[in-house]
Amino acid sequence: MAEVRLDNLSFRYPGAREETLSGLSLDVRRGEAHALLGSSGAGKSTLLNLLSGLLPSAPGCIFFDGRDVGTMPPWPRRVTQVFQFPVLYEAMTVADNLAFPMRELPAATQRQRVVEIAERLSVTALLGRRPAALTLVEKQLVAIARALTRPDVSLVLLDEPLTAAEPAYKWRLRQTLKAVQRDLGATMIYVTHDQTEALTFADRVSVLHAGRILQTAAPRELLEEPAHEHVGYFVGSPGMNLLDGEIRGSDCLAGGHRIGQLKAASGPCRVGFRPEWATLTSGDGGDGLPVRITGMRTLGAEREHLLGLVMADLGSTSIITRQVLDGISTGPGRLRIRPERLVCFRDGWRIGADA
Amino acid sequence: MPETMPDNRAWLGVLPVLLVVAFSAVIPLMTVVNYSVQDIFDVHTRLFVGFDWYRETLRDPRFLDALVRQLGFSAAVLALEVPLGILVARALPRDGRWVGVLLVLLAVPLLIPWNVVGTIWQLFARPDIGLLGRAVNELGIPFNYTAEPLHAWITLLMMDVWHWTSLVALLAFSGLTAIPGQCYQAAAMDGMSGVQVFRHVELPRLKSVLVIAVLLRLMDSFMIYTEPFVLTGGGPGNSTTFLSQYLTTMAVGQFDLGPAAAFSVLYFLVVLLLCWLFYTSVIAERGER
Repeated sequence: MAEVRLDNLSFRYPGAREETLSGLSLDVRRGEAHALLGSSGAGKSTLLNLLSGLLPSAPGCIFFDGRDVGTMPPWPRRVTQVFQFPVLYEAMTVADNLAFPMRELPAATQRQRVVEIAERLSVTALLGRRPAALTLVEKQLVAIARALTRPDVSLVLLDEPLTAAEPAYKWRLRQTLKAVQRDLGATMIYVTHDQTEALTFADRVSVLHAGRILQTAAPRELLEEPAHEHVGYFVGSPGMNLLDGEIRGSDCLAGGHRIGQLKAASGPCRVGFRPEWATLTSGDGGDGLPVRITGMRTLGAEREHLLGLVMADLGSTSIITRQVLDGISTGPGRLRIRPERLVCFRDGWRIGADA
Repeated sequence: MPETMPDNRAWLGVLPVLLVVAFSAVIPLMTVVNYSVQDIFDVHTRLFVGFDWYRETLRDPRFLDALVRQLGFSAAVLALEVPLGILVARALPRDGRWVGVLLVLLAVPLLIPWNVVGTIWQLFARPDIGLLGRAVNELGIPFNYTAEPLHAWITLLMMDVWHWTSLVALLAFSGLTAIPGQCYQAAAMDGMSGVQVFRHVELPRLKSVLVIAVLLRLMDSFMIYTEPFVLTGGGPGNSTTFLSQYLTTMAVGQFDLGPAAAFSVLYFLVVLLLCWLFYTSVIAERGER
């Protein structure tokens, strides 16, 4: 397994006017489970193909263990990939499929390794069968096994590997994948547009948007300290609320009300807060921003309290909070944001962060 | 305890199909079978001869020679057209604006009436005025398909390859385009060579279309009539007389209805047998998986 370093990696498809990826820098540690999170069109697949060598990149941008692999073809890079839909060689048995990436090694080593990996992914019973006789989930398990058999594999890429699985199996597959990753200490890059998958699988997540990495951080940090507006509303469900606001002196204002303190240059900004970081109350009185509560949705109950989402309009913006629903009804209300949680953005990027 | 009563009235629903099949296939076929066991002199005079015509046909050296030639021709056609068709299909671009144009161009030979194909090649290969025949002779290679059996065979095979390889190519192309790009990516990451990609990725996924291609070409080439009739007329000598041509000579030329009927039944059985053998061998191979 290798550590992977991207150094100011850019890529433009021949004939395309704009760069698909621009100035990507990233360090993936040896044995790290790393997730690339981004909506479709963000450049995820392009990045995968550059990492695997299916697309050539300029030299000096991609390093495996310090070695420049930018112009190397896929095979000597020792990268393997699990695709969105299971890819197996139809005419070979499962065992032969698993052994194929090791075909340059002695037969005994191959056999031993196949048995080992098959056991770890609990596909031993399938070894003698052909892919056509397997279910979709079994096929994907075998495809994952296939990506891991090569003993000298440097990097395992996973391209939305759970797309094909039914929801009931997704969880199981993800647990298996995570366990295998931890046990083998495999360097894995997991590409997905599903934040739940990314946040539960990865040690660190990179958020990719329009060909740029907006932030690379541990899942918790991504939720609490988004470095970019897009990270704020893309990560988290529902995403971060964003209001037009202003910094004046050390005060942060929204809708003409002071809602917190922030050390940053004065000027307009966007105020972001997660649904958990604010509460709405019904009624016109008290402090807080005046809003109009438009609806609510029950998500569950804890002790005697109903929990859920509350929707409200603030001027032309809609916001959502996650809170206790007791005493909430549609109509006028007040919004209180926990001031210590406030994050502000200017031109998309976070401002006033202590770090 | 509700019990479902077997309702045989459902069989009535099959009746229309049975009628159609009876008049379109079974009755004409049985007429031939009927002829094959009788000696017919005129409308009122006929004689039941049992399997005599079959015995005679099977002992007829001209029938056996034609059968051997036919098997050789079909084997050669398959051996040439299937690999060539796959090669052409692989060489075609998978997308882009030229694909449509190329596919239409490929399909052109398939649209030409068979006797026209025969005529085209009859002229094209003529050693005196044909572009091909003349050119080959000018190069110093003596070529005359009207006199040399080998030359006649080569010309016939070239004609069939020209006429029908497109069919195999189009079928193979449709099979190739159905292969997901991810399979090729995986193969590239596995460091596969071009040959390995063909063997492990493409061939297994082309199998079902190739079965259809082989069956179609096998049946069609086994029944070939018009093109050799126009091109060589079965000659020189009988060197390119295939089953259907001999049959026509017998039935239409000599009006030997009995032997011709027995011949037809045997002919039909041979085609059926070959297709069945091929198909079951493919199915058996699949079942063992």
